[in-house]
Amino acid sequence: MTGVVGRSVESITGALRTVFTAEQVASADGLLQRRDPRVAVCSVAGLALAVMITRTIAVTLCFGAVTVILARLSAVPLRRLLARSLAVPLVSAVIVLPQVVVLPGDTLVRAFGLSVTVDGVAYVVLFTLRVGVGVALLSLIVMTTPFSAVVAAMRELHVPVALVWVIAVTYRYLFLFFDELQRLVLARNSRTTGRSSLRGGWRDAKRLVGTFLLRTLDRGERVGRAMQARGGARPPSPYSRSRTVDRGDYALVALAVIAVVGSGVVRWGL
Amino acid sequence: MGPVIEARGLTHAYPDGTTAIQDVTVSIDEGERVAVIGANGSGKSTLQLALGGLVEPTAGTVRYFDETTDAEAVRDRLGVLLQDPDDYLFNTTVREDLEYGPAQLGMSREAATQRVAHVAAELGLDALLDRPPFRLSGGEKQRAAVASVLAFEPDVLLLDEPFGAVDAHYRDRILKLVTDHEGTVVLFTPSLDVVADVADRVIVVGPDGSIAADGSVRDVLTDSTLLQANGLRPPATVTLFEGILDADDVPLTVSDARAYLLDELG
Ligand SMILES: Nc1ncnc2c1ncn2[C@@H]1O[C@H](COP(=O)(O)OP(=O)(O)OP(=O)(O)O)[C@@H](O)[C@H]1O
Ligand SMILES: [Mg+2]
Repeated sequence: MTGVVGRSVESITGALRTVFTAEQVASADGLLQRRDPRVAVCSVAGLALAVMITRTIAVTLCFGAVTVILARLSAVPLRRLLARSLAVPLVSAVIVLPQVVVLPGDTLVRAFGLSVTVDGVAYVVLFTLRVGVGVALLSLIVMTTPFSAVVAAMRELHVPVALVWVIAVTYRYLFLFFDELQRLVLARNSRTTGRSSLRGGWRDAKRLVGTFLLRTLDRGERVGRAMQARGGARPPSPYSRSRTVDRGDYALVALAVIAVVGSGVVRWGL
Repeated sequence: MGPVIEARGLTHAYPDGTTAIQDVTVSIDEGERVAVIGANGSGKSTLQLALGGLVEPTAGTVRYFDETTDAEAVRDRLGVLLQDPDDYLFNTTVREDLEYGPAQLGMSREAATQRVAHVAAELGLDALLDRPPFRLSGGEKQRAAVASVLAFEPDVLLLDEPFGAVDAHYRDRILKLVTDHEGTVVLFTPSLDVVADVADRVIVVGPDGSIAADGSVRDVLTDSTLLQANGLRPPATVTLFEGILDADDVPLTVSDARAYLLDELG
């Protein structure tokens, strides 16, 4: 499968695949890497919560800035962070897009007999921003802390086992999904030559999607067995990387608490 | 010493109707070295999964350590290594993969750290520990997968083609780790050249997924007719000496053949 469709599928899957790998960054030396995993998980989750409470664009942008600063201090390349956290807000933007005409308010522009309202646009922008910053924060933790340490920290923090389980499995399967997609595209590209028309490319792409879904299900089953073979049927229990909490840890927790409280005060008042 | 794995009338059909193994009855005793051989598609991997309690048999039962039919209850004692390392390595780094089994199966952290360091050193993985498994070469993945199953020190090893893509050096290393293993070893493989190095007993899976033969390594490997009927070829040394020496004297490994020749040539 060559041509436009093939090439874009290849580059998208390549990008997404790297998105789901934390390597290097997790072992680099930085602000978040040096935190106790429990502290990192708690405070980043706190910041994400603060973002979710927010209902003003300005406050959301502030949290965006905090995220960028944390990333810089943790040696996380901004491009990687962005690539990782762009897909989800874009999809959610599409989902809430109809709100620009549904929400009542002052008309911004009229098109096709529909009026786009100021309130509607503001809502969609705010929503997308909040989701984006929230996802970026969560990506930040996955990029700076080995995944098994995140899981261990959640267990130590008494997060319900069922929830930890779902998070651990989902993360691994997401990864598998992109790995499988890239393998399939690579295999197809290696066996097709020359240029194909755009239409031919689309036909190919449709067939590819079918094969892909079957293969992912199959691979998921096999990986499931591999997990089970090494005790995956038991509750997730990786070795913890916790240590005694230091001043930097307290500072980060304090930042998260201030963020949640501040965000609440801005929204609901004192 | 009682059986560590005892299968009765084991049959497995995949959802699409393919019957991969049929009416398999075997008993593997503690400390035994068994090779399960068979042509491609004969059902070795399916048999491995069924013996390891990782697929639900359509019929039949498997009993472990003469005490239970629930594989999960003895998961820490069964080392099932799947054929494809890409399926077996599912963590974000090689180190996390090596630690996964020990952590999930309740090995203490200190013991695990020591054990992981040991197998990583044996299999040349030290420099790869912080790499994601999917970025490794084929042979490196295979070594990481073998290390991952050895890491939690299971009593019984059920290894599906552990020599896959590894080079000669690491093939010997894996061979040594397997032969040095103190418990039971069951090796599933389509290539017979390593069989005599590892096993005393050989089970042949026929093309229909049933057991075609089960005997001593010498009886099976020197029976060209049996092997050919099941889509297999005897090891090179057997082909070389067949008809020249009695079946009882045919060397089964290259080192035995060399010793014999040196002896003959004075
Ligand atoms: N998931 C599956 N669904 C349907 N059929 C399958 C599946 N996996 C394997 N089979 C079929 O079951 C039979 C036995 O497969 P199995 O993988 O056990 O063979 P094998 O002896 O391990 O072969 P190889 O030497 O190639 O590894 C084959 O005919 C195969 O096509
Ligand atoms: Mg197989």
